[in-house]
Amino acid sequence: MKREKKKPDKDRKPGRGIMSVGEKLAELFELPPDMFGNRPKVTAVGRGEVLVENIKGIMDFQEDMVRINTNSGIIRITGSGITIREITSESVIIGGKISNIDYDA
Amino acid sequence: MFLVHLWNYIRGYVIIIAKGGVERFINICARRQILLWDIARKDSDSAVMKASLKGFMMMRPAARKSGCRIRIVKKCGLPFFFGRFRKRRGFKAGLVFFAILMVLFTSMIWEIEIKGCGEDTAQRIMKVLEDRNIGKGSFKAGLNPRRIAADILMNVDDVAWAGVYIQGVKMTISVQGVTPPPEVVDESRHCNLVAERDGLITKIEVLAGAPKVREGDTVKKGQLLVSGMLESQNPEFGVRYVHALGRITARTWYDTRVPVAYEYTKRIRTGRTHENTYIRILGMKIGLPGNRKAFEIYDSISYDKTVTGPFNMEIPVGLTVEKLYEVTEKKVRLTAEEAEALALEKARLALSRELSPDCRVLDERVNVFRDEAGGEWLQLVVECEEDIAGREPLGGD
Repeated sequence: MKREKKKPDKDRKPGRGIMSVGEKLAELFELPPDMFGNRPKVTAVGRGEVLVENIKGIMDFQEDMVRINTNSGIIRITGSGITIREITSESVIIGGKISNIDYDA
Repeated sequence: MFLVHLWNYIRGYVIIIAKGGVERFINICARRQILLWDIARKDSDSAVMKASLKGFMMMRPAARKSGCRIRIVKKCGLPFFFGRFRKRRGFKAGLVFFAILMVLFTSMIWEIEIKGCGEDTAQRIMKVLEDRNIGKGSFKAGLNPRRIAADILMNVDDVAWAGVYIQGVKMTISVQGVTPPPEVVDESRHCNLVAERDGLITKIEVLAGAPKVREGDTVKKGQLLVSGMLESQNPEFGVRYVHALGRITARTWYDTRVPVAYEYTKRIRTGRTHENTYIRILGMKIGLPGNRKAFEIYDSISYDKTVTGPFNMEIPVGLTVEKLYEVTEKKVRLTAEEAEALALEKARLALSRELSPDCRVLDERVNVFRDEAGGEWLQLVVECEEDIAGREPLGGD
């Protein structure tokens, strides 16, 4: 009996990356999906501050734009007077007057 | 956010400029747990950022790896602030000295409060404390409140209970006084009443015993007034002894004579003064330079200036100012009236010491006379009314 190869597309859901075991478990037990896995979580508070968690690193940092590498692609935050308020290995807080948050840019 | 800033300030941080390959540098730092914050682009290849002191120490390999040059712009925070004093020995010595003084002064008694008794009992308690060298300035470590309380109980007789608490630099002694027991007349001890001084009897109140005098009698000192020996009219019944009680009020006379002096040395202040100042610390008096006995004959008045600290606490540090007034002695010739008035004043002063405290002054007579030698004297006679009865125990039982 020939094993049918799983199509990679089956696990894909629109707008999400490949689900890891942890994420599947989280879905199974109806836990918040950000507890497991390393998908980025972007929290924008007002207009002056964006918190991005589960990052891989900073790709580019300019006065009007910062690009952050994550597991689900690159997040680009544009605005004016962009600063990095704080950075650790997992998260970054971007300050400044923010006008766009773009994915895969 | 304020707390974070404060924490950073306490720990110390540096503001640095990184030049070339900033993104890579930031990523490496983030991965190596070097905390960076407030990163802002300065121009196309450099950025300004803040890093903790500890982080900055670990930053060198990261910078080398990313090929980024780092320059310190400013050092902020307490470690740098105190680093400035590292070489100032006097400052450090002062700090240590202050700490020692603080500890020393807070381990002393600075105030003693006595509660729950009158002034004289309080003074006796203070005396007890003084005898044991306890006072302002004694160290708390050497004091045992229970022991002090026991000492007070043992040595001050009208105290029924004493509690000693030491709170901070204040020692509070609270005492409970004893109600003195009433004087008990021991009626089994027989006695007579006799006159304590000469006098003219004005009133007799006898509670027990047989009166031997009547109103209007004059009595001499030691004369029997009320007998404690009751003789019955029928000699067969014998004699009964009692404890004689009663008040025998009599008029008594006191006299004194003082010479009348017509010459009097008057002290007149010349108007020249000098002030001596002393510093008092814990009962010690330290004279300031410039203190001297400025005049040969002088009156001095000294007063204490005390500092009242917070909470109305008296601080045992103060100034004593002694003011010297120069005086000149001048012999003054008095008129007869002035001389007599002066002598009368002296006589009154002398008599007031002699009078018993419970007597009532009825009359006062003054006469001036000359003795054989020609000296002039002033005699003051005071007429009083008082109880002259005094107890005299009867021999045997």
